[in-house]
Amino acid sequence: MKIKRLLLYLYDPGDKGIFDQVVKLCHTFESQLFVLFVLEETRIGQVARMTREKSETIRQRIEEDGWEMLYLVEDEAVESGVRTSLHMEEGSVPGVIKKYVEDYGIDALIIKRRDETKKLFISSPVPVIGL
Amino acid sequence: MELRISDFLKPEAVMMDLSSKDKISAIKELVEHMVTNNFARDREELFNALAKRENLESTGIGDGIAIPHARTDAVGDLVLIFARSSIGVDFSAFDGKPSYIIFLIASPENKKSEYIVALAKLSRLLRKSAVREQLRNATNNKEILEIIKKNEE
Repeated sequence: MKIKRLLLYLYDPGDKGIFDQVVKLCHTFESQLFVLFVLEETRIGQVARMTREKSETIRQRIEEDGWEMLYLVEDEAVESGVRTSLHMEEGSVPGVIKKYVEDYGIDALIIKRRDETKKLFISSPVPVIGL
Repeated sequence: MELRISDFLKPEAVMMDLSSKDKISAIKELVEHMVTNNFARDREELFNALAKRENLESTGIGDGIAIPHARTDAVGDLVLIFARSSIGVDFSAFDGKPSYIIFLIASPENKKSEYIVALAKLSRLLRKSAVREQLRNATNNKEILEIIKKNEE
């Protein structure tokens, strides 16, 4: 059985624990892996209010964490010969995911099960694999 | 100590006018420059590592930028090469646009965390349209280094 395109949505460095499973999944189902991180203004604002740091400082930190996670997944995927593309976007997560499903013909969404991703099980237009 | 792109980018690592039009030729040209300037010790190993990554999926990230990269012991330390193309290189980017700014990153196998951090910092820097524009308009390698340093502050 083949699943052509899988979309992995990353939330924060706590998601690193599922990278190995994701790569194995892609290898098993011969899937192309799209890895997505979304910079959300609301999240940046919340952290800035909590930490009393400038929004720009928080944005920079969150974006760099995001890129690090994207490249860590890619590094593991390349070792296993899994085709991988990295995507950094801005906006609302459900909206960005919907756009990716439409634009790239994504077959399923992979997320780490956590409070912050619960809503995606309902809003996702494609089946969700929760790890 | 925090890693800074500007600490790793040497003046002789800046190529102001890449002549290649396609990604494989461009990678060969970059590799040749690296070997000639003693940034890499094994031409074939370096090319194969970069081509392996490139063949899995393009490193053209859109907006005229490509970041070919690989971990390989063909280099002794983390190496960054900047190249600019006036004609544009077809890196098969997602947005279909040619790449005018190319940053190559290579690191030894055992420097994974430095390599990942360098890729992350560079990707964040190059998402800024003002930085891309400045890099495209710079007239010499000194200006390129200054732009990177200034925008990292």
